[in-house]
Amino acid sequence: MKATTTTRLIGTLPRCAAAIVSMTLMAGGIASGADRTGPVKRSAAPARSAAAASTTNSAAAAAPAPAAEATAPAPEPTAPKDGTVAYVLTDLHWAIWQSPDGKTECPDGFNEGNREQFKALFPNDGQTRTLLQTQLRREIDGWYPTTLPDPFPFHEAGGPTAIGLNLDGKVGPNDFTSPEGEKGIDNNLFRVLGCVRNYRSPEGAIQGFDNDEVTKDVYNRIIIELSGVDSFVNDDDVQVTLYRGRDPILLDATGKEAIPGGSQRIDLRWGTKYIQHMHGRITNGVLTTEPRDLIYPWAVFYIPTDEYMRAARLKLKLSPTAAEGLIAGYSDVETWYSQLMRSYSTHHQSYGQSSAPSIYKAFRRLADGYPDSKTGLNTAISSALRAKLTQIYIVPESKQLVASAPPPPAAEPYHGPPFPRTPAEEATESGPKVASTAGSAVSNAEK
Amino acid sequence: MGRGADIIRVVGIACGVALLMAAPPSQAREPTEEYLRVPMPPHFKVESTELEGPVFADPKGHTLYTWPFKLLRNGNTGDPKGQSNCTTTKTTVNAGFMSPYPGGFTLPDLATRPSCEQMWHPVLADKNAKAVDKWTLIERKDGGKQWAYDGEALYTSALDQGPGDVLGGDTFDHRGDDPAVRVPIQPPADVPPGFKVSTARTGRLLQTERDFSVYASDGDGPNKSNCDAACAKTWPPMLAPESARPHGDWSIFERSSGVRQWAFRKKPLYRYALDSEARSLQGSDVPGWHNVFTQRAPAPPAQFTVQNTTAGEVLADKNGKTIYTYFCGDDALDQLGCDYPSETQAYRLAMCGGGDVERCLGTFPYVLAPKGARSSSRAWSVIDIDPVTGHLASPGQSGSLHVWAFRGRPVYTYAGDEQAGDTNADGIGEFRGEREGFKAYWVRDDFNRRAG
Repeated sequence: MKATTTTRLIGTLPRCAAAIVSMTLMAGGIASGADRTGPVKRSAAPARSAAAASTTNSAAAAAPAPAAEATAPAPEPTAPKDGTVAYVLTDLHWAIWQSPDGKTECPDGFNEGNREQFKALFPNDGQTRTLLQTQLRREIDGWYPTTLPDPFPFHEAGGPTAIGLNLDGKVGPNDFTSPEGEKGIDNNLFRVLGCVRNYRSPEGAIQGFDNDEVTKDVYNRIIIELSGVDSFVNDDDVQVTLYRGRDPILLDATGKEAIPGGSQRIDLRWGTKYIQHMHGRITNGVLTTEPRDLIYPWAVFYIPTDEYMRAARLKLKLSPTAAEGLIAGYSDVETWYSQLMRSYSTHHQSYGQSSAPSIYKAFRRLADGYPDSKTGLNTAISSALRAKLTQIYIVPESKQLVASAPPPPAAEPYHGPPFPRTPAEEATESGPKVASTAGSAVSNAEK
Repeated sequence: MGRGADIIRVVGIACGVALLMAAPPSQAREPTEEYLRVPMPPHFKVESTELEGPVFADPKGHTLYTWPFKLLRNGNTGDPKGQSNCTTTKTTVNAGFMSPYPGGFTLPDLATRPSCEQMWHPVLADKNAKAVDKWTLIERKDGGKQWAYDGEALYTSALDQGPGDVLGGDTFDHRGDDPAVRVPIQPPADVPPGFKVSTARTGRLLQTERDFSVYASDGDGPNKSNCDAACAKTWPPMLAPESARPHGDWSIFERSSGVRQWAFRKKPLYRYALDSEARSLQGSDVPGWHNVFTQRAPAPPAQFTVQNTTAGEVLADKNGKTIYTYFCGDDALDQLGCDYPSETQAYRLAMCGGGDVERCLGTFPYVLAPKGARSSSRAWSVIDIDPVTGHLASPGQSGSLHVWAFRGRPVYTYAGDEQAGDTNADGIGEFRGEREGFKAYWVRDDFNRRAG
């Protein structure tokens, strides 16, 4: 009950004050119970990285307290208390490998975006044009995209290196090698987005907004709980459960960096769809899970949108206070594109020179998984997300309610706008009018 | 078609909608929001409205609007204080205020496009008119005098036909990338210091001055709290200072010695300690606890349902398909509307079907009303639509559709929603539907306050 009261109190406090109260009470009330001094002092340790952290979680409290605990860091716990530890997602980026000058993966340069394509289509030549012929035409091309050849050159990312996982268990001629040297990396989403500035770091606006909203919008509050954990280092049988939380993330005094020890309620009011189970193992401190289809919330600028990843699996380096690594699988193309279009206006897409119609065509060309049973066309694309998570406590009463919650509805990907355009209508697409800038629609992978 | 014909068309169609909407209320009259009596020029009045509460109105009862000056992405428009930019000049090209592309493209349906003044009638003052309190006079460019409120020029809307109509604009869910919209002006709500009221989808929501929701409990009696000290940790009472005095719907009682608590319509008032967001409805999930409204919004037609989503509740049709509204303000200097049936449908057709009428009807079908269906409110109505043009059908027109409308605009479902609670079309449009596009009809949104 103490934890419940704590959470209620925290709910009434400003974020910074809540952080302090949460750390103090959680450490004292749950972790150690009788002796608040030790854990609270340990919580002041500056390290937050997965490698260096040693702080307030239950595992830390369960470890024997060193004699000089006020000055010496506590030893790294070897297992979480009761075999359970939870983390909340704080950072999420599509995995885009970048060379220092960008020339390795984008030898032909970066892609042009809406603004540049519009200028090519409708030059300032004194001709009178209507809004329907121009701006609204481009909007239609975005909302009702086609797989017609792209009249604009599209630079796919190439080179030998990409971040990701070997999703199909094979090492093929078009596969990448990871920066760590692992062969057979499947990441065609990188081919699509790797040379679009919006998705590159640090300048890409979309990758920045996407990531900001992970912490800002509670809709995106993804929790990963591990249970049955005997060791943070090696355990071949770990249960992994994903939830959506209901609370703000505990942040440090800058208001930007997440710190461990916060608390989260599980969203059983609207978020049961996100409760998903996986089986995993921990090897040398790295959690890997078996694949399963995964739906996860990713709303940007307040429109509630989700992503759907088929055969998704986690590969996360664990510590008692943090987890970091990859979420990889085959991203459903229509769901991905819907999230893009509904979150980012043409204006926002233009920040980083991205063109939704061109990106859609590239997605369709490079989709490499889950063929449609009727058309045979691939519906999903190999992909990877870089993820960072911070340790949290799940409010106990939330866990009790989970057991009695009704089974969640089956999650489905979005199947795209109904009633596709006819070939005749597609021929009106703004693109084909640009003969002079027409480029090859053959992908780098096919060359 | 000449200018006069334009006016007749706009007004005539609007009249048609008004007639169709004039269904007499059949339900017992719900309480309406009280307001503070403030000084007004002679003959101006306050009208009660279903969705916005009390609004200022001209002597005919027509709602008064301002056009607040707004900084848009690539420029600004609207009325600066003390000035009217709404004229008889018809705007012919877009401004590019909200686009990565340049302006200067010919606007849709130019032949029938009205001028700003045709849609927004300046509230003119006679030469002997005198300022009263916040009501002042500004000089128009043609030398005439126009009433202003708090320095902002006043207009009535060509869409409003009678007292209580607020079809020209609202105060609901407007965000940064919305057009420079017209907003109805309102007298101050009659609430004590420390409280305020704002328009939510389900009614005029009572809040603290910091926007946090106010609640009442079924467990309390009239002017009596049964929420003890333990309860009050979760439900902090709304305390009244010693200087506070009861008035109107507002009373004060002593919950313990020397501790006074506010009650509204005799219901003791509280906050909810677990509300971390303003204007929350989350406390109403606790059995016996409810948000407090100064007046409730009219109930949607009986054939509609409410469905859970991943973010809250949406209005849905009888099959559970989410209901969408279409909102549109054009990107021209005068920022005219483009979502009412009498206005251009070019933007909607682009978004709902890529410019193709048939696909539009399949992708975003109208919500058909049963024959003989009538609304018990003004907010909801049944209108006849020409499905090809999207405009109102003429009486007896062959092939017209009998459809439900909210605020005079048809509502839709989306063929791409497959399960109850899907909201796959929410945000389809320019700037996530803020500038123009489809928005799910949120009844409750626990994450981003899209229900108010």
